[in-house]
Amino acid sequence: MAIEVLGPRARERVGRLDRIWEERPGLIGWLTTVDHKRIGILYFFTTLAFFAAGGVEALLMRTQLASANAHVLGPSRYDQVMTMHGVTMIFLFVIPMTIGAFGNYLVPLMLGSRDMAFPRLNALSYWLFLGSGCLIYTGLFLNMGPDAGWFDYVPLALKRFDPGLNIDFYALGLIFNGISSIAAATNFIVTIFKLRAPGMSLNRMPLFVFAMLAVSLSLVFALPTLTIDCVFLELQRRLGFHFFDVGHGGSALLWQHLFWFFGHPEVYIIVLPAFGIATSIIPTFAKHRMVAFPLVALAELLVAFIGFGVWAHHMFTTGLPTVTLVFFAAASMMVVIPSTIQIYAWTVTVMMGRPEFKAPLLFIGGFIAFFVIGGLSGIMFAAIPFDQATTDTYFVVAHFHFIIFGAAVFPILGGMYYWFPKVTGRLYHELVAKLSFWLTFAGTALTFFPMHIVGLLGMPRRVYTYQGGLGWGAYNLSETIGAFVLTAGLLLIFGNLLWSRFRGPYAGPDPFFGGTLEWTTTSPPPHYNFAVIPRVTSPYPNWDRADRDEDARRLESGELVLEEGHETPASTVRDGYLDEVLEMPSESWWPITLGLLVTVLFVMLLLGHFVVAGIFGALAVLALGGWHAQEPAEA
Amino acid sequence: MTEHALPRRAPRPRPVAHPNGWWGMAIFLASEAMLFGALLGTYYYLRFKAVHWPPPGTPEPKVVLPLILTAVLVATSVPMQAALRAARAGRLGATRLALALALTAQATYFGLQMHLFLGDLAKFSPGEHAYGSIYFTLLGAHHAHVAVGLLLDVWLLLRLSTGLTRYRFTALWATTFFWHFVNALAVLVVLTQLSPSL
Repeated sequence: MAIEVLGPRARERVGRLDRIWEERPGLIGWLTTVDHKRIGILYFFTTLAFFAAGGVEALLMRTQLASANAHVLGPSRYDQVMTMHGVTMIFLFVIPMTIGAFGNYLVPLMLGSRDMAFPRLNALSYWLFLGSGCLIYTGLFLNMGPDAGWFDYVPLALKRFDPGLNIDFYALGLIFNGISSIAAATNFIVTIFKLRAPGMSLNRMPLFVFAMLAVSLSLVFALPTLTIDCVFLELQRRLGFHFFDVGHGGSALLWQHLFWFFGHPEVYIIVLPAFGIATSIIPTFAKHRMVAFPLVALAELLVAFIGFGVWAHHMFTTGLPTVTLVFFAAASMMVVIPSTIQIYAWTVTVMMGRPEFKAPLLFIGGFIAFFVIGGLSGIMFAAIPFDQATTDTYFVVAHFHFIIFGAAVFPILGGMYYWFPKVTGRLYHELVAKLSFWLTFAGTALTFFPMHIVGLLGMPRRVYTYQGGLGWGAYNLSETIGAFVLTAGLLLIFGNLLWSRFRGPYAGPDPFFGGTLEWTTTSPPPHYNFAVIPRVTSPYPNWDRADRDEDARRLESGELVLEEGHETPASTVRDGYLDEVLEMPSESWWPITLGLLVTVLFVMLLLGHFVVAGIFGALAVLALGGWHAQEPAEA
Repeated sequence: MTEHALPRRAPRPRPVAHPNGWWGMAIFLASEAMLFGALLGTYYYLRFKAVHWPPPGTPEPKVVLPLILTAVLVATSVPMQAALRAARAGRLGATRLALALALTAQATYFGLQMHLFLGDLAKFSPGEHAYGSIYFTLLGAHHAHVAVGLLLDVWLLLRLSTGLTRYRFTALWATTFFWHFVNALAVLVVLTQLSPSL
């Protein structure tokens, strides 16, 4: 729907939308924004910075482990760097990148909405995330970073063995981070339930959005147990409560149960958005709709659901009763079913279509390969004796890096290329993109595959160094070389994107002929996303040309253009019938104000100034009062 | 234009789906349920590992007053629902009256519970034994939720003093939902708290 073909009345309506939805220019506009696309971009660059930090930590560890008895990092520094690598990649990179950046930017666009259900809460999620990330990293820069592993097992994490502030940075940082994630997840679920374009019944919802729904539900149900676990830990460390010490009736395993009740759904929280990105990229480049569409949607939800029944497979060596072990082993096996449904659906879709192997599809190919390898070593862990033999070795590290890096990050990288033209309006360089894929692919395989072997040879994980003469040297060296190759591949990707941002050819609204609604609007999309609210009759509305021509006609006649206010339509939850028109809030100072107050609150808790913390808590409540004093105009 | 012609604006005078604010509260309460699930789960996990629960020297919880108080709190679901009904019918005065009634009972509950809580703290501390730790953490979390509910009530009464809008109606709806949840949870919490004496 190019601007030049618009009639005079349509052009007038678009002009009015431009004026109503415009936000303030410059820095103030970014600080007060409630536009989901701008918040997505803020998330993108923030998580990218954390990704760089986590990557540097990985390189430091690999340099230390390149040879036996190396002295790049001492044991205390190594522990901090290792812990922060895990915490960063999980809480500060993958989750906020997929949900915060991709989800924020794309979900309203794919739903045909003009914003999220709670735009100011959306901004608040970002500011809280930024505050929590900075808080956790302050610890590392003060040489007081978390140092008991990302799983932070007690009793090692108790005051007696870890007397500094290290673990307090971890526990308070993750409680803080959890608030941001719960707010974001709630926002996504309500947006997905309520703000779909008219006609988008649940069975016509894009599979990417199904994945985001599954992730958000997992977050809502899984995160509270981590929060409670960290609250217990802080109460024990700060105020002398007894949850985890056996001498006073506590239990060290309680930490692990609560942690992994969160921690395993967390794995699917990390990898499900990747599934969603794969189901967006494959139909576009295979030029074929996803086969088994409803089965894939159900499989995405089922993975998230089964993820809640498998946590004890992280605890097979803790002395749980055999009956418990067998139950959790069986439940873990069940995850294979929905995963396999999806793998078949992806590969068969590619086979049925006329695939065009551009860079995004290559990354999805790499994703499927790594997911299968990591999945196969995952099934091996469901065999209890095998798990007990390989637990705490590099074999486990190999497995979960194939999943978390190979399966979760490859689609993120492919998705960056895929949606780059939509966000910037420019095309990336295809040849360099393909080269960057092969470099990243080779680097990933070289880094993580030898870890299987060195793990089976008996090398324990989480060690800061090892003795020579054990036959581990060559494998470790190749892992380190792989890590640098991988880094080169990642730098090539970001170099390509940076160069293309300024020099790439213009992309137009739909360079790849994608099927979902984000491709119907201009690149980059205007503040209001769609000049006319699209009407949806299939899961791939951009391939329904008659409907899109109808949109252009409706823009001329003014049907559901909503150019009289800051408005978006809401639909019924299941069938997607148009239900009402909502007045949406515009830019606001409250989210960043509240974010700042809560950040100070957590800093004061960390420093032990509980009274000052209480004052800032009260100020935050007052800020909420101010926030809600702004009501939308009555129709 | 086959199944439903698209109108210029809203199709119906009153939407059929629940408002976003209600849905937001529903999802939030789902995560709150998990939070309390973790607390209650911890209570029983620690309890069934212990030989003596409560440990020797710690008094068993007194039963009568907490049960009566919980009954009073649960009963406030009625005036909350009445406030919501009155607001839906546009009767502002009745809304405020019912809300004030609920607030009075809830505040009384909160005050007496805090009295009991401090009394317990004088008898045994969370730093002595895991029993005290989970006892005070569980009750503290519950009381914190009641306190948040009280703040919501006060804020609603302040907002309603200048009239009823759709925004405030949604807020009342969500707050009512919050109280129903807290009240249902209060039953589980008090039964768990008193379980050593029951």
